[in-house]
Amino acid sequence: MAFAATTVCRPSLLLSPRARGQPPRALLCTPSTSAFRGAVTAAPPALLTAPRRRAASTGIVCGKVSKGSVPPSFTLKDQDGKTVSLSKFKGKPVVVYFYPADETPGCTKQACAFRDSYEKFKKAGAEVIGISGDDAASHKAFAKKYRLPFTLLSDEGNRVRKEWGVPSDLFGTLPGRQTYVLDNKGVVQYIYNNQFQPEKHIGETLKILQSI
Amino acid sequence: MDGIGIAMKKGSAESVASTEANFACAIQSELQRPYEPRFSRAWTLAGSAAVISSLSTSASLAADAGSFAEPVAAALAAYSLADLATGVYHWFVDNYGDASTPVFGAQIDAFQGHHRYPATITRREPCNNLHALARAIAFALPAVDAAASAAAAPAAAHAFAGVFAACLVLSQQFHSWAHENPRRLPPGVEALQAAGVLVSRAQHAAHHRAPYNNNYCIVSGMWNGLLDRHRVFEVLEMVVFFRTGVRPRSWDEPDAAWTENTTVTAIAATAKAGNE
Repeated sequence: MAFAATTVCRPSLLLSPRARGQPPRALLCTPSTSAFRGAVTAAPPALLTAPRRRAASTGIVCGKVSKGSVPPSFTLKDQDGKTVSLSKFKGKPVVVYFYPADETPGCTKQACAFRDSYEKFKKAGAEVIGISGDDAASHKAFAKKYRLPFTLLSDEGNRVRKEWGVPSDLFGTLPGRQTYVLDNKGVVQYIYNNQFQPEKHIGETLKILQSI
Repeated sequence: MDGIGIAMKKGSAESVASTEANFACAIQSELQRPYEPRFSRAWTLAGSAAVISSLSTSASLAADAGSFAEPVAAALAAYSLADLATGVYHWFVDNYGDASTPVFGAQIDAFQGHHRYPATITRREPCNNLHALARAIAFALPAVDAAASAAAAPAAAHAFAGVFAACLVLSQQFHSWAHENPRRLPPGVEALQAAGVLVSRAQHAAHHRAPYNNNYCIVSGMWNGLLDRHRVFEVLEMVVFFRTGVRPRSWDEPDAAWTENTTVTAIAATAKAGNE
């Protein structure tokens, strides 16, 4: 029950409906730190198994996103400044990959690897979304420089990263590199974490997509 | 630099000889530092004296204690750690700061000059290459030895300090040999490089090629494989980036000031071949 021991869940009772663009003040669970390489998170005994469709309306977010759960939807700006919602991709599988930052060696390798295999993802009917804390301008330059064909979203203040419980590495110094595969119903089927072998994310997620 | 271009086209023996003179002048003016720094021999001597003093202290302590095993083990540990230390220091000055950085500015500038003209290190007198490190050791090592003696430290401590210091000073010579044409190496050096006792030419050449982010160690190079396989420097760079926002130079395309001037390198090779 290590998960329960390391997770703190503090629901807040007096939350007003979330204003547009304001980060939720819901108190979130502290994620546990994951291993560097290839930590696959299996489904832990979840504290909250009910699907959390609109976490913002209840104001309580508890338990990190795990296999079998439906992650909280998000609405973020992409590299062109357009607003993109996770719910827009319902009906097709989605690969959501959280990465530390644009224009760093590992993230560049990972983005280029996704780009080079993008056709395979399209063939599997899946969409690829990259999320980091960088702003839209940074994403735009990054996407342009490496000719990235997929969506990059700006997670300002790393809010969504925290909501989903993406673990960080090296005792909190590095934002973690974790990829989620959601099936066409929006349920997480696979989570892959690997900070220092970024290209592996592509192979691992493609394998899963082929089976779901 | 036009004379060099013309001489390259001519290619005759006389023009090669004159290009060597032009080359030396060009290097001098480009680097804007004296060809032979003042007191370089004196500082090299001072640093060497400090090392010899440290090692003889260790030897006499060991003789008194009746055992040379610990000092020898300490010496080997020092030789190993010196390689690691040169790697970390080299990574730091290659990636961060510039000529105006306090304390390290001159060194960073020197490393930049070396990346631009890698061959010049082989054209300098050993004292020229070693004097800066020897000067630092001439001050630091006696202080360390004095502290060790005051604390009645055993022979191993002096052996460690002396060998560590010696490896640091000599690292520039090993580095120079790693750039040198094998036929011009002193007898035995090539064998030591092949055996991995000294950093090899192949390993160090990889450092001077894209992506310029590996093979930083320059004593024996024994740590290079491990550090590069586990991307230790990349981890450090990520941590520094997320903590301070500073990007290391190796993440971006090398700017002209750090890129090797291959024209000059080619001339140097031609000139040397002409001499032999």
